[in-house]
Amino acid sequence: MSNNKVTRRQFLSYTLTGVGGFMAAGMLMPMVRFAIDPVLQKKDGADFVLTDLPVADITEEPTRVDFNFEQIDAWYSSEVTSTAWVYRDGDTIVALSPICKHLGCTVGWATDSAHPNRFFCACHAGLYEKNGKNVPGTPPRGPLDMYEVRESADGLLELGPVVPNTLV
Amino acid sequence: MFYNGKDSTQFLQQTEFIDTALVPLISIGLKKETLHNAASQSDYVLSLVNALENQFKGRVVAFPSFCYVEGQEKEDLYSNWKLAFENSPFKHVLFITGDSEWLAIDDSVLWTPTIPLDSMDAKMKIKILDDQVRQIIPRIAEKWST
Repeated sequence: MSNNKVTRRQFLSYTLTGVGGFMAAGMLMPMVRFAIDPVLQKKDGADFVLTDLPVADITEEPTRVDFNFEQIDAWYSSEVTSTAWVYRDGDTIVALSPICKHLGCTVGWATDSAHPNRFFCACHAGLYEKNGKNVPGTPPRGPLDMYEVRESADGLLELGPVVPNTLV
Repeated sequence: MFYNGKDSTQFLQQTEFIDTALVPLISIGLKKETLHNAASQSDYVLSLVNALENQFKGRVVAFPSFCYVEGQEKEDLYSNWKLAFENSPFKHVLFITGDSEWLAIDDSVLWTPTIPLDSMDAKMKIKILDDQVRQIIPRIAEKWST
């Protein structure tokens, strides 16, 4: 019995080590958590947006596809509608962004009767060929951007981030 | 473009291309009987202005609305706006409104019948606005070509 006796000195050093350990852990844990945070960060959902157009229905004629996604602007989240011009080129699906490279208007396919096979920007009469290449002599300085595309499991078109045009 | 700091630096540099001001004329109804209609009208006109801005971003600057209470004398205010725009970098000024009283003052004002958007879901709203924009495009193009 008397052999197991804890001395005052031992008792104090045990308690101090214990409490000190907790305090050190309490300080270190958040630091470690902050340090490795970038690794644990969740990637914001693959960034592909599902449209309601079946890939099989896409023809060689560019068609307009509207799609919605949620945009979060600080604490305000809103539903945004975007448009793409989609057509089939052999085995590949091409989705062009409708944003004119001149000053950002919205272009339309064959909306100008004088140019039935061109994308047309009504603001300053900008023209683009079907693959998005800007027609020289019109205001735009570069080709239309395009969306990354893929097919969803049930055959619908999915659009990804906007990338520079690779067809031109 | 919108009438804000960020866009204005751009349109001041590009006055050769961005030459059209789009000004919504909004009637503010405050009586019990007129408030609902006026609110619905202003909602519609402002949504339409946003849709037009989206379509013609590179040529049009959408201005904050010109608001007035019903019954207010419009002619003087209107001529002030017109005069101010004549001395501005904008070549064209488009006033857009849902208030039919403007037709009597100046028939170059773009008047549009109000479609109440209150009970529509987002998809329907976008479709309606899109159709309306398409109908207005020729009227704007006509202004540009003169």
